[in-house]
Amino acid sequence: MSHQLTIEPLGQIVEVGEGQTILDAALRAGIYLPHACCHGLCGSCKVQVTEGEIEHGEASGFALMDFERDEGKCLPCCATLESDTVIEAEIDEEPDALNLPVQDFTGVVSRIENLTPTVKGVWIELDAPVTFQAGQYINLQIPGEHQPRAFSIASSPARVSEIELNIRLVPGGKGTGWVHKELKAGERVRLSGPYGRFFVRASAHDAEQLGYLFLAGGSGLSSPRSMVLDLLAASGDDKPITLVNGARSQDELYHHAELQRLAAEHPRFTYVPALSGEPEGSGWRGARGFVHEAAKAHFNNDFRGHKAYLCGPPQMIDACITTLMQGRLFERDIYTEKFISAADAQQVRSPLFKKI
Amino acid sequence: MDMKASKKLGLKERYTLMTRDLAWTPTYQAVKDVFPLTEYEGIKIHDWDKFEDPFRMTMDSYWKYQAEKERKLYAIIDAFTQNNGHLGVTDARYINALKLFLTGITPVEYMAHRGFAHIGRQYPGAGPRVACLMQSLDEIRHAQTQIHSLSNYNKYYNGFQNWRHQHDRVWYLSVPKSFFDDAVSGGPFEYIIAIGFAFEYVLTNLLFVPFISGAAYNGDMGAMAFGFSAQSDESRHMTLGLEVIKFILEQDPANLPIVQAWIDKWFWRGYRVLTLVAMMMDYMLPKRVMSWKEAWEIYAEQNGGALFADLARYGIKVPKGWEQACKEKDHLSHLAWNTFYSYGMAAPFHTWAPSEKDMEWLSAKYPDTFDKYYRSLWTHYAREQAEGRRYYSTTLPMLCQICQIPMIFTEPDDPTKIAYRESDYKNIKYHFCSDGCKSIFDLEPGKYVQSWLPVHQIHQGNCFPSDVDPGKPGFNPLAEVLRWYRISDGIDNRDYADSPDKQNFETWRTQATGN
Repeated sequence: MSHQLTIEPLGQIVEVGEGQTILDAALRAGIYLPHACCHGLCGSCKVQVTEGEIEHGEASGFALMDFERDEGKCLPCCATLESDTVIEAEIDEEPDALNLPVQDFTGVVSRIENLTPTVKGVWIELDAPVTFQAGQYINLQIPGEHQPRAFSIASSPARVSEIELNIRLVPGGKGTGWVHKELKAGERVRLSGPYGRFFVRASAHDAEQLGYLFLAGGSGLSSPRSMVLDLLAASGDDKPITLVNGARSQDELYHHAELQRLAAEHPRFTYVPALSGEPEGSGWRGARGFVHEAAKAHFNNDFRGHKAYLCGPPQMIDACITTLMQGRLFERDIYTEKFISAADAQQVRSPLFKKI
Repeated sequence: MDMKASKKLGLKERYTLMTRDLAWTPTYQAVKDVFPLTEYEGIKIHDWDKFEDPFRMTMDSYWKYQAEKERKLYAIIDAFTQNNGHLGVTDARYINALKLFLTGITPVEYMAHRGFAHIGRQYPGAGPRVACLMQSLDEIRHAQTQIHSLSNYNKYYNGFQNWRHQHDRVWYLSVPKSFFDDAVSGGPFEYIIAIGFAFEYVLTNLLFVPFISGAAYNGDMGAMAFGFSAQSDESRHMTLGLEVIKFILEQDPANLPIVQAWIDKWFWRGYRVLTLVAMMMDYMLPKRVMSWKEAWEIYAEQNGGALFADLARYGIKVPKGWEQACKEKDHLSHLAWNTFYSYGMAAPFHTWAPSEKDMEWLSAKYPDTFDKYYRSLWTHYAREQAEGRRYYSTTLPMLCQICQIPMIFTEPDDPTKIAYRESDYKNIKYHFCSDGCKSIFDLEPGKYVQSWLPVHQIHQGNCFPSDVDPGKPGFNPLAEVLRWYRISDGIDNRDYADSPDKQNFETWRTQATGN
């Protein structure tokens, strides 16, 4: 039987299966808890249980002392739940997280548009308004599929009754195949959300006067677009915003005209489209190359004074992190939309970095 | 009564109040006079507040934790002692691994304590200062618990009694000793990269896991308990090492080449010290845990590889000697045990040739090298020993100027040829076992010409008791060196087969298990 785990100070609720450890459940939900040995010997993952019953499992008597057990400490790498439980972990509080509750929604597909040969824009009119933070995602139910599919919301959080999703066709993918080939305007859909901890750290930008840097590639434009729209709508903020948007060729660029228009209207917003596979002599006058190359050239290899938000396929994220760090922007100022899957959790990875 | 309940402080706030908040900026002395060692190494730190505390433990809770660890550890040690636990080990050959640990490792735990106390004092940042203070206390606790738990063996077995005296004198002990002396005589940044990062993070698993699992596999609850008790501190040490290297690299791009040179140096120095662990794993444990080669593949190639893949983002490259170390995994333990077997009268523990069964295991674990290069050596030694001619080398070996290990290592690509490297400095020639050791010398020759090399010192007449005259007829240099080492010839040293330890262990075990 599964139980609910509330992780403080985030307030995030995670479902923990029978026999599943607290650490495993947290990591799968995208919540990083500090950890190292993963089998109860080092004590790096120690947390406080404030409510509920847990089973300590294999925790070593030296890594988790008797007095600590009496005080309600446990090691999440070994501990399993006996009831719904609340833990307090050493996670930095995120002053900008709204910690919105996840809800189920129903709605009607109001329109579908071909944004590029491989990306469709899907607009869903919701039966009840949704509140989300720019950058978050929803889980869409796919008929006949057990697991829902996650899609970032591409529209501004100001639009509470209709959300926009930009969905690329994954070759052989059942969920995106259904969206591209079967879903029609007027059909009813079910979804839940908002999910995810990918959002703009506005208070840190304000406190340290840091610019906003968005790096998007592949179909990763949705979250950055929502974040940019949200930032441009706010008054009284004049810190610069830069979006580097990567695509293979001109016909794979979408929302291009809108972003150019926004850049013309807002002097603080710079839009840098970069094409990696555009044919020579096509008349393209913008940047050529991958996102990280375009970013490096645009900032002359110096990213200091920013916080960067990265969204896209794993190779792109990886190349961008390396480029940012070599341009002196480090982990504390880099945010990625990262889902740690079960396979990632088992991979041999060094603990040098926590969240990137 | 006016009672106002205030909100309980969060972990982070509590930590801040009890650490950084207790620091202050001096006003009647300049900061650089209070912390005079922070600039000369060339490391540039612009903002100490950017140091992110890797763990949030305050001194008050530190004492509480360590006190309970001590209570548990000593309860286990007492139980082990009262039950004559020493008679439960696989056989008394195992106890020689403990002698190696006590003479070679425990004194450097104490040096680690001194080193962290020293650099903690030298850092202007309150975060690293508190972390170093705790690690300094951890290290002295490790030294003490090791001495206490191994003192029980000293009641029954030979070779434990003069560990402190020997650490400063005996030839092979100058290997770990010179390693640590080199580190503590570096600056505060070099020391923390050397010990906090290169040793505690990259290499510590290769030291602790083999000894502690070795203890568990061979029935030694006492040593296993101090191992677990120490391991629970290691997580703090490892996270400190990682945070420090990130912090230094993020502070200024000019720090990168300095840090890279230290990583190259300290990886190689630490790796050379681990030669002693390699031979312990493959030859000294009656019941083995895994081979040195397997341990190297898991802890260095796999875990270390993942670390250096991440560090590459900062521009850090895999340490210079990495590739050679990976090539040597097939040879290291065999070369080392051959040396200790040959010099078996000059170390305060026993050596022995591997049995036919031992060799089957070695052959299976080292299919490419053991039968081809090393088996014939042991077969020869065994035959000589059976005919009453146990081989002991009576000449002194040539030592490497840096690692101080005899020049026993073979060329990385030719296991039949001993590697020799040399450098000239002020018209004197210096000798090295490897490219790694040579390049360490070439960067700082002025430091390493001062090395106290045990063999040179014997030749210079500095390793005899003061009551003897080397000029007198009949002077026996070996006997006098052993006397100066406080090694009782025929008791503490030489072959296990001929030792009182073996005889006593067998007698006591027979008494314990029958009438």
